[in-house]
Amino acid sequence: MGREVAESCVDTMLMEMVAMFSGRFYANKPELAARRIEAIGYQVGHQLSERYTMERPRFSDHLEAIKFICKDFWSEVFKKQIDNLKTNHRGTFVLQDNKFRWLSRVSIDPSSEKETEDPSTPGESKAAQAVSMYLYFPCGIIRGVLSNLGIPCAVSADISSLPTCSFVIRVKA
Amino acid sequence: MANTACFIIVGRNDIPIYEAEVGSAAKREDAAQLHQFILHAALDVVQDLAWTTSAMFLKSVDRFNDLVVSVYVTAGHTRLMLLHDSRNEDGIKSFFQEVHELYIKILLNPLYLPGSRITSTHFDTKVRALARKYL
Repeated sequence: MGREVAESCVDTMLMEMVAMFSGRFYANKPELAARRIEAIGYQVGHQLSERYTMERPRFSDHLEAIKFICKDFWSEVFKKQIDNLKTNHRGTFVLQDNKFRWLSRVSIDPSSEKETEDPSTPGESKAAQAVSMYLYFPCGIIRGVLSNLGIPCAVSADISSLPTCSFVIRVKA
Repeated sequence: MANTACFIIVGRNDIPIYEAEVGSAAKREDAAQLHQFILHAALDVVQDLAWTTSAMFLKSVDRFNDLVVSVYVTAGHTRLMLLHDSRNEDGIKSFFQEVHELYIKILLNPLYLPGSRITSTHFDTKVRALARKYL
């Protein structure tokens, strides 16, 4: 089942997907574009989870499934493992990736570092908003994987410091 | 070579998404629905058993007269269930593994809605060929 594709193709496809949904389909409605991209990610995660769990035994609890995502799944999709996993043992997990592969080509806006900590400056929020559109797809993938393993959840991403990226998973119920 | 064998795939929400009679004997009219009835009745047993182990192949979970139900559960809680009268466990395990690969290929189709019926004739042909080979 393994044939290989150049990574630049994957990068181009992701950029084009975000550009298409936020620029052409839902031009002034970023929330709708985000929801569509996340739904695509959900289906992809669903499919990938079946494929990558084929060889290994099934999971006995939530923590095992999260660890599978941090190690095996992340190395299959992003060629590295999650660097830091935190949990509050009450259904919230934070997965921290110190150099998220799909954001490695995104430049960090130097002007935003000179600004004071005023989040209402338009330059900083626009850059942050532009980058956050690229994170809906991986969030959808994680949600798809966990839903297929029987763990309904909500996933959000946090990019307060690029290139480090944190994914916050909140297990429902 | 099993004389009677009925194979179904049940998705996460307990809806069968694929059914096939793969035995070599002809299907008897009076027992036409009996096989599927036995398999559906075995779902409760599978549900309990699936939580006790982390293996995928749960060997034989239920019996009816001389027919045995064997089940293979995937990580996404999709159950591949086989009703048969043979005792060839290794053959059945290999059969399940090959069908699991075929199922993943169906799932990777972006136009396939997960949980809906599998209508591909190609899949059907391949499953019957695998049944002839392993059962």
